[in-house]
Amino acid sequence: MRWEELDELIRAALAKEVDEAGPGLVGLEERVVRELARRPVRRSLWQKLGAFFSQPVPRWALVGAACALLLGFALGRLTAPRPIPQFTPNLFVIAAPGARQVAVVGDFTAWQPLPLSDPDGDGIWTAFIPLPPGRYEYAFLVDGKWVGQDPLAQEYLRTFGEYVSVRYVGGSGADRSS
Amino acid sequence: MPAEELELIQRSLNGDLEAWGEIVARYKEAVFAVALSILRNRADAEDATQDAFIRAYENLQRYDLSRKFSTWLFTVAANVAKNALRKRRREKDPLPEELGPDPAEEVHADLRLSAVRKAVHELPEEYRSPVFLYYWHGLSVAEIARILGLPEGTVKTRLHRARAMIRAKLVEEGVIPNAVGGAG
Repeated sequence: MRWEELDELIRAALAKEVDEAGPGLVGLEERVVRELARRPVRRSLWQKLGAFFSQPVPRWALVGAACALLLGFALGRLTAPRPIPQFTPNLFVIAAPGARQVAVVGDFTAWQPLPLSDPDGDGIWTAFIPLPPGRYEYAFLVDGKWVGQDPLAQEYLRTFGEYVSVRYVGGSGADRSS
Repeated sequence: MPAEELELIQRSLNGDLEAWGEIVARYKEAVFAVALSILRNRADAEDATQDAFIRAYENLQRYDLSRKFSTWLFTVAANVAKNALRKRRREKDPLPEELGPDPAEEVHADLRLSAVRKAVHELPEEYRSPVFLYYWHGLSVAEIARILGLPEGTVKTRLHRARAMIRAKLVEEGVIPNAVGGAG
């Protein structure tokens, strides 16, 4: 199934679900108006606190997830039964001078950020990621900004209003890219 | 913003509850969808929808008229629903039964839609909200980021991950074939 077909399926399923809520929402406007007319208007401290505590996921949690992913990957390689799939190191590289944090996200990371590094500070951020043969969709996050078009990619897709790069690794995957 | 809607909001700001009732009638389904994506339970989502409109009215003077009204309203709704979810967890209420297709639906409707719906409901909360906002509300990634208070990159990664999880679930259940996604 193509992604567009799945997108349509998800849209249809959610539309159906909200449509089914119809009876429960009948007369909601009257109930709201009645309730507002009944209560004195007041603003509580809780409203301010509510906004304060609705913070985005902290960065350390993402880094932790990436470390856990790497650790899990390493352990998986050590403990996996033979034969181990042929993982080949893949270079992910992006020029991002001045960036503070660069990561790659893709289907091979379950779309969780995997940090790239720039040890010599020349603005070239890299990571070697072992991958088995296959087709991989990915993008970079440069200081949280989505960079979907990797010049080294073999294809680009447009999804969720943004580009995503596609890379084929080894075997039949490499053949498909030619 | 349409002039008519602006007028309704200005009348509401002046205390006209009938005007606010008109706003509720226009947005109740959309606000319900936001609440449902977070709470996963129809009755709780209906309560949260009502609370969201009350909260929005009480805080209407904070709304910046130059910005998109629906984005602001959905942000209020998301916060109300998140608070309700936290309260439910704090009180250690068992998670209400997840929505599922009724037997009549099983017989007559497209089973694939039921499977997709189930897969969406099984997503963790942080993934469900972006999915509803993107697929049902048709909002852009930037708008979703503003509503949920997240960086745009995070919204994109969550959408990708959520879609991959939905697809994996549907493949696992034999609803769709296991094939490469192809162009997105």
